[in-house]
Amino acid sequence: MNSSSIWFIIISVSIVSILPRILPVAVLSRFDFPAQLKKWLSFVAPAVLGSLTALYILAPEGYIDLSINNNFIWSFIPTLLVAVKTRSLLYSLLVGMATMALLYNFF
Amino acid sequence: MQSTELRQGINDSIPIVLGYLPLGFAFGVLACEAGMSTIQATAMSILCFTGAGQFITLGLMQAGGAIITIIVANILVNLRYILFSTSLVPYLKRRVPTFTGSLLCYGLTDETYAVSMNRYQDHPPTALYIAGLNLSSHLGWILSTFLGAVLGAYITNPDRLGLNFTLPAMFVCLLVFMIRRRADILVALSAALICLLVGYFVPSTMGNLFNIIIATIIAASLGMVINE
Repeated sequence: MNSSSIWFIIISVSIVSILPRILPVAVLSRFDFPAQLKKWLSFVAPAVLGSLTALYILAPEGYIDLSINNNFIWSFIPTLLVAVKTRSLLYSLLVGMATMALLYNFF
Repeated sequence: MQSTELRQGINDSIPIVLGYLPLGFAFGVLACEAGMSTIQATAMSILCFTGAGQFITLGLMQAGGAIITIIVANILVNLRYILFSTSLVPYLKRRVPTFTGSLLCYGLTDETYAVSMNRYQDHPPTALYIAGLNLSSHLGWILSTFLGAVLGAYITNPDRLGLNFTLPAMFVCLLVFMIRRRADILVALSAALICLLVGYFVPSTMGNLFNIIIATIIAASLGMVINE
């Protein structure tokens, strides 16, 4: 692939990735959403986080992996416990990363 | 007061930047393998801030995909941001000027979205907070891409340090913080289940992340029913 095709790809990909991010805020901020819609939207964040967490933990390589060899599942357990118990992002990150590093290096 | 907001945004970006390091680095390495120059790889991370989309682009380039295929794949993988951005509107409205707010939303990613939505549960959004969070996350992405493109071959596996668990750990934590209502737990769990089921039965959605959109729409609607 030649250099100008690559530049063309980079620019087109940038355009299609930026528009869906900025247009809704730019256009929809003019309107008052009905209460029901606002309520529906308030569930978007928990739903997105649930989906992303599931994908990151149970499909870390892009396919679903429920085996005992999936280190992400083992690292998830102490991370979740620390997050619930301490409600600290820092501690949860440290425990999660330490667990992952231990599993990676010693198992 | 104002500069605290900026600083808070930058602070909140630290876990994101840590998580982006290995990813951006990997992108830089792979981009060069796929035929991009260091400048092109870095420019791509400057002009677009779409991890999944960028990796898909490389994959398709290496597989000899047509340019139109690459663009369509990127439209699909970025569609979920319409939903993310729309759900920000009720928070940003009348608090952040629309022009500034929408410009700063170029820096919306799964990670910055999760962090800022958590913040807005008890703090009103400000342009400075969004700028601090989004711009420093983006800067981390750009720098790690550059380092990957330049140093690629010299650095061994960053997984040894557990860095590959930074973003998953962040999502687990933000999910825990985000749950306020009983309905939130049910919404999150059902979204997780639907997302995996859709991904299992329609494997292509695991690549274009359409499973997140389907799961979010169904689970959020379920939330409305439960919360009646």
